[in-house]
Amino acid sequence: MNQSQAGWRRALLCARWYLKRGALLLLALLVLGSELFDSGVAHADASTTITTTVLNRSVENGKTERIPVAGVTVNITDESGAQVGTGVTNDKGIIAIDVGKAAVYTVSIDVASLPEGVSVADKEPTSRSVDFNAGVSVGAGKKVTFFLGKSTRVTKSRWSQLPQTLVNGIKFSLLYAMAAIGLSLIYGTTGLSNFAHGEIVTLGAVVTWYLNVEGPRLHLLVAAVFGIAAAALAGGLVERSVWRPLRRRGMSLTSMMIMSIGMAIAVRYIFLFYFGGRNRRFRQYVGESQKELHIGSVGVTPRDLTIMIVSIIVVVAVCMFLLKLRLGKAIRAVSDNPDLASATGIDTNKIILLVWLVGGALAGLGGVMFGAATGIQWDMGFNILLILFAAITVGGLGNPFGALLGAFIVGMATELWSWAFPSVTELKTAAALFALIVVLIFRPQGLLGKRERIG
Amino acid sequence: MNWGLIFSNGLYAAVSANAIGYMLVASGLNVHFGYTGLINFGQAGFAAVGAYAMAITVGRYDWNPVFSLALVLIAGAVLAAWVGAITLRLRADYLAIVTIAVAEIIRLFANSVKYTWLTGGNDGLQKFSGWMERLSPFDNNGITVWKQKIDGYRLWLLVVGWILVAVVSTIVYLLMRSPWGRVLKSIREDEDAASSLGKNVVAFKMQSLVIGGMIGAMGGLWIVLDKQSAQPGDFATTLTFFVFTIVIIGGIARVKGPIIGTMIFLFVFTFVDSFLREATKRPDPVLPRWLATDNNYGQVKYLLAGAALALLVAFRPQGIFGDKREQAFDVR
Repeated sequence: MNQSQAGWRRALLCARWYLKRGALLLLALLVLGSELFDSGVAHADASTTITTTVLNRSVENGKTERIPVAGVTVNITDESGAQVGTGVTNDKGIIAIDVGKAAVYTVSIDVASLPEGVSVADKEPTSRSVDFNAGVSVGAGKKVTFFLGKSTRVTKSRWSQLPQTLVNGIKFSLLYAMAAIGLSLIYGTTGLSNFAHGEIVTLGAVVTWYLNVEGPRLHLLVAAVFGIAAAALAGGLVERSVWRPLRRRGMSLTSMMIMSIGMAIAVRYIFLFYFGGRNRRFRQYVGESQKELHIGSVGVTPRDLTIMIVSIIVVVAVCMFLLKLRLGKAIRAVSDNPDLASATGIDTNKIILLVWLVGGALAGLGGVMFGAATGIQWDMGFNILLILFAAITVGGLGNPFGALLGAFIVGMATELWSWAFPSVTELKTAAALFALIVVLIFRPQGLLGKRERIG
Repeated sequence: MNWGLIFSNGLYAAVSANAIGYMLVASGLNVHFGYTGLINFGQAGFAAVGAYAMAITVGRYDWNPVFSLALVLIAGAVLAAWVGAITLRLRADYLAIVTIAVAEIIRLFANSVKYTWLTGGNDGLQKFSGWMERLSPFDNNGITVWKQKIDGYRLWLLVVGWILVAVVSTIVYLLMRSPWGRVLKSIREDEDAASSLGKNVVAFKMQSLVIGGMIGAMGGLWIVLDKQSAQPGDFATTLTFFVFTIVIIGGIARVKGPIIGTMIFLFVFTFVDSFLREATKRPDPVLPRWLATDNNYGQVKYLLAGAALALLVAFRPQGIFGDKREQAFDVR
């Protein structure tokens, strides 16, 4: 009886092992496999000349860029499927082919002839049909345009895009780090997984946007100060008026976590109610002033450069504060062990309030910079919330330096994902969440976490 | 102001096939959260795999619906087993993070352009409910009850759905009265004590996760059968948290909790929405335009749902009819 039980247990353990690793492998293979079977289709139109243009289209910072793609083979077939013309695009991405008579044709691009690093954009066809009898441009010939590459905006090889990807990765890592430090410190000092942290990020951006664009039209840098202050105050206010009384009442952490979710939903829809669903931009740091500066093969807009420099300064300052100053050490002490810290005479409530203020300010700053980089949206904070949780869990819950490391890993992972799998960039958040699950399987306490935290 | 219609809309929403879906999803969560104390923040993911299991196999590949129905249950169970295998040995809040992450991965996957050939992308999948329509014994004109026109198909969904809710509730009731159910509750109350009495805590949690996941998958199926369309937007994290609100309103760890909770939640949700639609209707809205307009009144119901979740947890965690001793909030 016992033996058979032991046998079962062994089988179960074995099965569990395979289930975990096998499922991971399967998902990875699924994504890779579909990558290999990527196929494209395009489509065209003409009078008796069909002019085909192949462009690599990308949307960068709200501006659409179109780069011609040379060397793409274009085939034209008539309704019966017989080939009536073929050609290769020139360095302007254009090929004009005379088909002789006005009829219905199908223009297609040969996916195999695409230069390395360029693929057919999602939703874009690789063949278009052309009907000379339709449309108003009689006698003018027909024009067909194929759009390629949603994310592969450079018609260079994939490897030459790597430096650019890494720079983008650093930018997003720093932005995630801003918000993640606060989230991690709050978790460390109070044990609360604050699901409303994303809304503090949004608040910073929305208040700044209001002062910059809608209200008194302050300069962005001035408006940002108020936005950050509003985010810090919101954090402090919620701590003083909600969390501290509830802690005193002895409410469990699970209840508080669920409460923070309810608050987050309510606040998020207040944003939607007043701010609307559109993506909006600040008045400064947009448009023509943002010509890319080129350093080797890497292009950076002045705005992104500013964002990176400011975040590096802030992150270093926060680290120095935590490592060197008394207050910072007190924060780390409370984060490490609240009871022990309060026994040594640290006023834990004061420290927790400070953490909310600092965490709120950092989240607000992150929101302003995120808004400058990608636009302001009512759910921008919510959209990065899970990435932030992934970052702090990967780094080790409650450890602010772990949050930095985690933000770096997650930020890099998402950008590298877009680089490695350009046809599924929308799944990059999924990639970050997937990385979270992988880390939890192999190192549940996170990279810098303490063993006892896994319980 | 058409009060009759507003009330009628609210009442119908509380018993409709959509409500049945919510009841089932909530019952699954109740097994996880209410009885076992597992903080599952990914119930929307279980609903999504159930819905898509049917939508893909029938809508895309024309499977026999019997096999497809079996797959709905299997999909829920497999997802639960997979999530459980990763997290059940970890602390409770890891389960929360991992489940919400898994649910989002599923939704992002269903939403992606790349896999449109399989999941239909953002537009989702349709044409998977034909077999249910063919089974319907009702005339397609259906009936009209107090301003609500219910077509034959939805009437059939209502009948089958309510039987399903009754069956599932009975099963949950019997399970939770059994020794097995008492072990679950003991795990919720004190995991270490249960463990020291020789109970295999992880195995019990896993079984609870699988059963709740299967019920959740059925719920997801009912939600999309009612809409006759499965879209990733139906399975966002808000679904999970609405269902949490439902479970708490109805009373945690009560078999009738999810049913009553859903009815109250969806009644208020729809009532508020219908009221505001009427009250902001142009050309002469009842409400001042600075308060709400016909453009943004739709947000109010979500705002209220979020606020209700926060306030209930803070002031009445046992819900409206719940028993304070049964609340599952002190999970470690």
